[in-house]
Amino acid sequence: MKVTTPEEEVIATMKAAVGDYILESKIPRPRRVYIRIKSNANKRAVSALLKAFPHAIISTITGVDIGEDIEINYHFWCGKAEVTIRTEVPKSNPEIETITDILPGAALYEREVHDLLGVKFTNHPNLTRLILPESWPKESYPLRKDWNPKHVGDLNGSLEETLIVGGIETERNGGPLVNVVVGPQHPALHEPERFLFKLDGEIVVDVEPRLGYAHRGIEKAAEQLMFFQDVHLVERVCGICNVAHTTCFCQAAEALGHIEVPPRALYLRTIVHELNRIHSHLLLLGIAGLEIGFESLFQYIWRDREIVLDLTEKLTGNRVMAEYSTIGGVRKDLTPALGNEIKRGLLKVKDRLNFYREVFQSDPTIELRTKDVGILSKEKALKLCVVGPVARGSGVKSDVRKHDPYAAYEDAPFQEILYKDGDSWARLMVRLDEVNESIDIILWAIDNIPGGPYRTRVPRRMPEGEALSRVEAPRGELVHYVRGNGTAYPERVKIRSPTLANIISFREMIRGCYVADIPAVLVSLDPCFSCTDRMVFVDEKSGRRWVWSMKDLRDRRRIGK
Amino acid sequence: MILDGIFIFRTLIYPGFLFLFTLILFCDWFERKIMARMQNRMGPSYTGPFGILQPLADYVKLLTKEDITPHHAKQFLFTITPIISFSIFMLSIFCFPIDGVNVFSDYGFEGDLLLVLALVTFAHFVLFLSGWSSSNPYSGIGAVRIITQFIGYDIPLIISALGPAFLAGSLSLTKIASSQTLPFAIITPWTFIVFLISLQAELEEDPFDVPHAETEIVAGYGTEFSGRKLAFIRLSKDTQIIFGSALTATLFLGGPYGPVFSDPPGLWFTIYFVLKILFVIALLEIVEAVCARLRIDHVINGNWRIIIPAALISIILTAISSPYVKPLMEAAI
Repeated sequence: MKVTTPEEEVIATMKAAVGDYILESKIPRPRRVYIRIKSNANKRAVSALLKAFPHAIISTITGVDIGEDIEINYHFWCGKAEVTIRTEVPKSNPEIETITDILPGAALYEREVHDLLGVKFTNHPNLTRLILPESWPKESYPLRKDWNPKHVGDLNGSLEETLIVGGIETERNGGPLVNVVVGPQHPALHEPERFLFKLDGEIVVDVEPRLGYAHRGIEKAAEQLMFFQDVHLVERVCGICNVAHTTCFCQAAEALGHIEVPPRALYLRTIVHELNRIHSHLLLLGIAGLEIGFESLFQYIWRDREIVLDLTEKLTGNRVMAEYSTIGGVRKDLTPALGNEIKRGLLKVKDRLNFYREVFQSDPTIELRTKDVGILSKEKALKLCVVGPVARGSGVKSDVRKHDPYAAYEDAPFQEILYKDGDSWARLMVRLDEVNESIDIILWAIDNIPGGPYRTRVPRRMPEGEALSRVEAPRGELVHYVRGNGTAYPERVKIRSPTLANIISFREMIRGCYVADIPAVLVSLDPCFSCTDRMVFVDEKSGRRWVWSMKDLRDRRRIGK
Repeated sequence: MILDGIFIFRTLIYPGFLFLFTLILFCDWFERKIMARMQNRMGPSYTGPFGILQPLADYVKLLTKEDITPHHAKQFLFTITPIISFSIFMLSIFCFPIDGVNVFSDYGFEGDLLLVLALVTFAHFVLFLSGWSSSNPYSGIGAVRIITQFIGYDIPLIISALGPAFLAGSLSLTKIASSQTLPFAIITPWTFIVFLISLQAELEEDPFDVPHAETEIVAGYGTEFSGRKLAFIRLSKDTQIIFGSALTATLFLGGPYGPVFSDPPGLWFTIYFVLKILFVIALLEIVEAVCARLRIDHVINGNWRIIIPAALISIILTAISSPYVKPLMEAAI
């Protein structure tokens, strides 16, 4: 067979290495490859893939309940295509060999599948709960189709069991250790997560993170709602990168239903996506100032972020939760007048950005706090499969917009920002420079936006099939895997947010650092939190609900006296 | 000192407790407002004209809040340390000439500079004990940081405080202040700068606010305090800032002395004193606004490698240059 496309090349490479174990392979779309292998050949296939593509990173592991068996999909990005290696394990005895030993970045995804579907990964170093609470009943796996919330049993469990997470160590290598719990509620954390730090004086010896405090069961809920409703559900996965989530889900649904999206809608999505990125990055840079005790920087950056939020509101109708993308297009059009206003606003932001760049580059206290702190080498970054600015701060090329273009990024002129240092400072600088690139992209998109409709009508029912969609969210690669079963309801929606991919590297970065570095390093990973602008007021007695707009608040504000 | 009416009036009302308490609240407001304006914010603006009553409202609110003592805390120390630290700082301010003389209506004694410096060092130990006694890991780390930071920075602070004493030829606060016809800050700016940096560290202001770094260790040594105890801890922090500014004003800016335009001179002296304090606070706040927080190892290394040698060099420089600057002082008269 003559090798013509990169996708076929991937399949040919895999066939040459582990041909005996491959049951079938297909290329449904450009840059998407599916390979089904015999069960228990997963490790062999993965190591063959890693050997052929040393820079391959694992995107996620999706488990799907398909009746008698549980299907396990390993999604890899190998530089040319997103390769899905698929195998099945029987539901009666769901055991499969771990790949954590050859690819440490898979550890959390295996724990997730174990937690929600009950698949046992043999030889996994630490196969404990990742998302569900410790008191969750054993043998109760919510993502299995036969799972019924009524038969879960006692959900309260013992409180003690829920509270004591992670091993308290009082001694290591003969030296005494102090155990400090940070979170779930802590001034440095903006969303609930729990870290057990083991300290030797001021130096961090080890850390055990515990996630899942904000688990809302969105993947399960998505199966109960129709596709067009799920757009609004996934928007609420994250308040900051909501545009990335809707865009990603809509792309997956469109690929599933073979829906042609009007080119104008693609450009509009790009504009909102980049506005979202600017606001997210500015938010983080401000927070970074706050975490290292530089309050003025925080206040200034957040003031300039307001420009972007106002522009988002004018374009989409909402300040933060854009509700903009929908399956088959976008919900609102861009007028030329608004286009000019966006341009003017962004040029102002760009001007301010030069100043902040100078601050980050030359301020001695910022340099002391972030340079050479929390170093993640390129090799470790690849092994741990980190994504987004964290990977690019370590010099790993990982921009989905560049390597797996979607929306209007194929033609957009922009640079992939890479820093080689791998420290906190580099990760912050990546974001600062990316804001600049994002502004350029928006300016270009407004000038070159094609005419025509911005939305097509789509049927509610989606055909049977599967689609995997990737976008570059502000925090890194975001993956949505959607499977349809011929109805208006999806069979399975799998979401892998970038923070889950990055949090695994925190342990690597923080070891040997000082206690004071904890917030500085954590913030460079960009932990996310959401904010809303309008308050809903409820009168307890009458039950009346009303909303105050920003204008009302401004009018009611007392200035001076 | 006899217990007569004047003595009681001076200690309790003016220029003693009540006056100082008002000054502390005012300076707290001033500090917050100045910081807010530099950060593009409003700052306190609701309570009273320009929000001037906000600090008082905060303290009243804290006094009414529930007071919780952790089960494992050392009860006695935990209860008493906030009050002791506040009292010590207040007592130290009593030693400064506020309206020309100090609160006890005399000119102090030879060596009261050493007394206030010693009292403050003692107050730091009390703050350390307050954190240590609350048996909370954050408080523990905060307390250890206080002791590491203050033991280090007390040395350059005391050394650079000796510069003015050397030029004035006295260890009495009043004499140092009254001998400055031209402020020492202008005559020996090198000592002034070293002193300000050490003071910034003593007051736990950015970039030295390591002992109560919010994003790292919540509120440091003060994490477990609530209600009345927290009010006293905060009050003693605010008093400490007044103390630091008063020390700077007395040693380097000529204390309360200046031209008197009408009777009584005490009124003019008080005005000068307050204005100089506000000037020092504004200086400290500007530094705070443009700095990120350092790490404890930076703080310690910076102290032993840069600040202490700088303090020693500055005092040597002062000694060498004193024959040349002495005429300067006299010429201004």
